[in-house]
Amino acid sequence: MADAQAEDTRIDWEGTLVQRARAGDKRAFERLYREYAGRVYGLCLRMTRDPQMAEDCTQDTFINAWRALGKFETRSSLATWLHRIAVNVSLAKRRKSGPVEPLPEEEGAATKWTLETPIEVHEIESAIGALPDGARDALVLHALYGYSHGEAAQMLGIAEGTCKAQLHRARNLLRERLGVEVS
Amino acid sequence: MTSPPDNDARKVTSLRELPQSLEPPHDLWPRIEAQLTDIPDAAAGRATPARAGAMRARWLAVAAMLACVATGVWIGRSFLPGAPGSTAGPVSANNQVVPDLRTTAFDAAYVSDPRYAQQRAALVRTLQAKLAALPPPARAKVEASLATIEKAKADLEQALGRDPSNALLQELLVNTYQDEMRVLSDVHEASDPGRGI
Repeated sequence: MADAQAEDTRIDWEGTLVQRARAGDKRAFERLYREYAGRVYGLCLRMTRDPQMAEDCTQDTFINAWRALGKFETRSSLATWLHRIAVNVSLAKRRKSGPVEPLPEEEGAATKWTLETPIEVHEIESAIGALPDGARDALVLHALYGYSHGEAAQMLGIAEGTCKAQLHRARNLLRERLGVEVS
Repeated sequence: MTSPPDNDARKVTSLRELPQSLEPPHDLWPRIEAQLTDIPDAAAGRATPARAGAMRARWLAVAAMLACVATGVWIGRSFLPGAPGSTAGPVSANNQVVPDLRTTAFDAAYVSDPRYAQQRAALVRTLQAKLAALPPPARAKVEASLATIEKAKADLEQALGRDPSNALLQELLVNTYQDEMRVLSDVHEASDPGRGI
């Protein structure tokens, strides 16, 4: 109950800031930046594996968001909207630095992404960072940020079956690299 | 490359426990703000000359896409056995196809994202009111575009009914849905005070 109220308050507060930013108020937009910079940078860093590129992507994400604020539906989630922009920016920047490997579609098994035994965060992050781009993208969006297969696929511009296949591949690679079962 | 939290020795039992938020090593706001200063009027989406030009370009793009759809339908039909009958939607007194924007079963097969369906339904619900707010020439243009899009969708769906695996027709249909959404969104925006098509 209290959580729901807090969420409502947060959305109202966020909506007000969006309205003010749309009207050209840069201070309001800065507050939105302060609120979401970490989530955007976290996603960009995990997708690009390059801190400098992740900073550039974060910067471009917020500049693109400022340009497109007029099109943002206030009923939608601002975090999701920013993530969509961040994914597009990160994919575009990464494409410039190298080709992306295609993967045939196949059905992936449902995974909760739990580990057989506890593993240190830095070890998992390192294993995720070593995954191939496509598998890492799908894993980060689905397993870390909680997007559904369909949402992650849409954000990445791939078919849902391909997204599931990438997750399947990511799980197998993580299992090999971490030496524990990922279920 | 460094993995995000390099020195985090905390142990977790699920990937969902990893931190979603990672702070940038330094404040990026000054660089962002400097670039925002170079984008006058961008946030509000006001009807600046540049924006009006972009809107015109979008309508031209819609027209070009519709020409492609028509060509695609013709190609699809030419290679399909059994010429179809008339596929046009209902025709009004002035001989113009009246847009019927209800979602069909075929829509669901190609556009399965529920958010798309919700967003489209919301735009369709307010369409008449938004159209009424437009100047008559713009309204006529929008109605003609929507009617053409509806006809293209009907033609493509009928052609796909006979050849469901035709990749060209599938792509054209998806493009048509996207274009319909763009037109509906433009109408929604353009009917707001201070904006125009």
